[in-house]
Amino acid sequence: MMHRACARLMRFAGVLACVTAAGLASAQALPPQPQPSAPRDAVPAAPVSAAAEGIYAGTRPSLLQIRTLVEAAGRQSSIGSGFIIGADGLAITNYHVVSQYALEPKTYRLEFARPDGAQGALTLLAIDVANDLAVVRLEGSDLPHLDFDAAAVAGELPRGERVYAMGNPLDLGFTIVEGTYNGLVERSYNERVHFTGAINPGMSGGPAVTGSGKVVGINVAKRLDGELVSFLVPASKAAALLERARKGAPLTLAQTREELDRQLLGWQEGFYQALDAKGLRETTFGPYQAPESAAPWFNCWARTNAEQTPKPRAQMDSSSCNSQSSLFVAEDIESGRAELTHAYVRSSDLNAFQFAAFVSQYYNSAAMSRSWSRKRLTQPECREEFVAPADAATAPVLRAVWCARAYRDFAGLYDVALTTVTQDRDREALVSRLAMQGVSYDNALALAKRFMGAITWTK
Amino acid sequence: MDEVIWIEVLSRQRDVVSRQRVPGNALTIGRAYDNDVVLDDPHVAAHHLRLARGDDGRWAAEDLGSINGLHADGARRERIVLGDDTVLQIGHTGLRLRSSAHAVPAELPIVRATPRWPLALGCLVLVFAFALLELWFAETAEPKAIRYLTPLLSLAVIVAIWTSAWSVLSRIFTGHARFGLHLLIVGAGLLAYSVYEQATELGAFALSWTALARYAYVGAWMAFAAVCFAHLRALGHSRLPLKVASVVALAALGVTMQSLKLSDWRANYGQPVTLQRLEPPSLRLVPAQRDAAFFANVEALKAGLDKARSEEPVGGDEASPTDGDD
Repeated sequence: MMHRACARLMRFAGVLACVTAAGLASAQALPPQPQPSAPRDAVPAAPVSAAAEGIYAGTRPSLLQIRTLVEAAGRQSSIGSGFIIGADGLAITNYHVVSQYALEPKTYRLEFARPDGAQGALTLLAIDVANDLAVVRLEGSDLPHLDFDAAAVAGELPRGERVYAMGNPLDLGFTIVEGTYNGLVERSYNERVHFTGAINPGMSGGPAVTGSGKVVGINVAKRLDGELVSFLVPASKAAALLERARKGAPLTLAQTREELDRQLLGWQEGFYQALDAKGLRETTFGPYQAPESAAPWFNCWARTNAEQTPKPRAQMDSSSCNSQSSLFVAEDIESGRAELTHAYVRSSDLNAFQFAAFVSQYYNSAAMSRSWSRKRLTQPECREEFVAPADAATAPVLRAVWCARAYRDFAGLYDVALTTVTQDRDREALVSRLAMQGVSYDNALALAKRFMGAITWTK
Repeated sequence: MDEVIWIEVLSRQRDVVSRQRVPGNALTIGRAYDNDVVLDDPHVAAHHLRLARGDDGRWAAEDLGSINGLHADGARRERIVLGDDTVLQIGHTGLRLRSSAHAVPAELPIVRATPRWPLALGCLVLVFAFALLELWFAETAEPKAIRYLTPLLSLAVIVAIWTSAWSVLSRIFTGHARFGLHLLIVGAGLLAYSVYEQATELGAFALSWTALARYAYVGAWMAFAAVCFAHLRALGHSRLPLKVASVVALAALGVTMQSLKLSDWRANYGQPVTLQRLEPPSLRLVPAQRDAAFFANVEALKAGLDKARSEEPVGGDEASPTDGDD
């Protein structure tokens, strides 16, 4: 319900499906007639469009369309946007716009197209997978360029500020979109600016600027289950990466995977440390207590089967907390998500065997979830056992199954899921699950131990 | 004095197709109507064979110049003195001569074999009871009669078709359908399988021994092969080694196919292999591990995963040209 959003928007062809699903296709299908919306309330609207016109004119020369071409065919396979940030030809875009090229430099190449029609090759200088950013260089000097907004970099831009997102949506041409700056998303581990405005596929990597034309963020994603709920990467992250790209050695393409591996490992280290520091809090499910993360960036949803018809013969109440911190690595691989789920199941109607059959559906479907690409992940290895707690007075015996698979491209990263079922009552059980994506084995073990140790009961 | 003899025309399986009583010390056999024994086989000459009793009282057969000749004891003969059981082959027809003094075996008393099918039905009732119990234990929604009737009916139809097929074979090869016996074989086989299936599933949980459920299909194929062997044996005790070999081959083939299918499915969809069905906690027989031991076991999985990572992706769902180079 919550994050059905395929929030990544860039691969023109790939995302079109999402766009259609979100109902944007109907907007596209409308005849391109000018909408007489603004001039009706003439007083406030007129200066705004005048402002936007000025901003567009001032910013447009610094915009780029960034194309990933299939080397063999010479045709574009995905498009995004970007902008020039320095006279020396450095430009900023999203990592996900250049990810195909970064991962498979022999199959793809990168090209830019400027609004004046100029085209050329791009060099990839630096990537930041956690913040979905990349720095590229185009040849040339004295190029028109944008600057960061100092207040935004310092994180002091007020909410409600009018902001203009720019880019080339759906390959239709360079566009300006008016919207509102809504500060950092509160419940998010990765810092993202909530931008109320329409960001569409192809605009990824484009700048969002203030009325004075200064960059406050980089278009990155939108939610498909809402209207005009879009996200920007804060300017501070882009400024930091730019600094790194200027000072450090440029990225060697042969080592992109190692660099990604290093960044993903570093990211998960920070994430699980922060998670550990925030601690776990106990939530009560019937006679059981089960751990949930006290970290604010978890999004929790409850579900019940109570109002299903026909009336279910076992009652199930579940609570699922998702960290909403997934990182785009490639089209068919993501990382960074953590999920804690508990389902409390009880019945007075079913016999013990039937109840066990009812619980089984949560047990075996829970082992591993989400899509699996055998090119990216190894086959899972599982271990299942009955596990006794350290203190039998405070915790029940559990049936526990641990499944893990390794990322083929990134040493040290795994997808891990731990599922436990309480084994103390015949017709009452707590099914708990901890799923971690792109985690080091040690961090997974550490959190799993804490998680399992925190499943307790009151007799 | 002339002796009366019998000429028997035999089938390919050496059963007697017809018998003809012939008096005298000599006779001819062929397609022409002036023969003593007339055959309709087109590969037999008009006058094919002459049988005559010699001075010593023994009969001899003599080819009268046919194209296809006279065969006996595995070779073509111009003339042969007949033994007690010599079969003469002319054209596609087998012939045997019996003197009226030929000894016949003693009369067999009629034995009322105990009917097999009450026992068979007993087995099947148990099988159906097992199936019902299993369906009942897996019932987590409102019980509906149709959900119980459909599988039972399918099972009954399969049993009926299977048993009939074997009975027809039995009738062809032995002359008796032996429906009761075949039904007993199916019933006993299914009963053994039901017990085995439940035992493996319960055992996998109670002993926390996942492999028991995972490889249960090996036992199932062996049970299937054993049932097939019992059916074949009921068709006759001849060539038993061949029958054993063919059911062993069948079981091996079944196990191989299923193993390949499972491993392929696993490689394609990456589904973890875990217990499919939990049982009531009170059925647990093994002591629970301490959590530290569990996590130590879990830690040991890492080596296998790292090994799998360094190996190439199994098969190729998406060709990636750079994968081989770096």
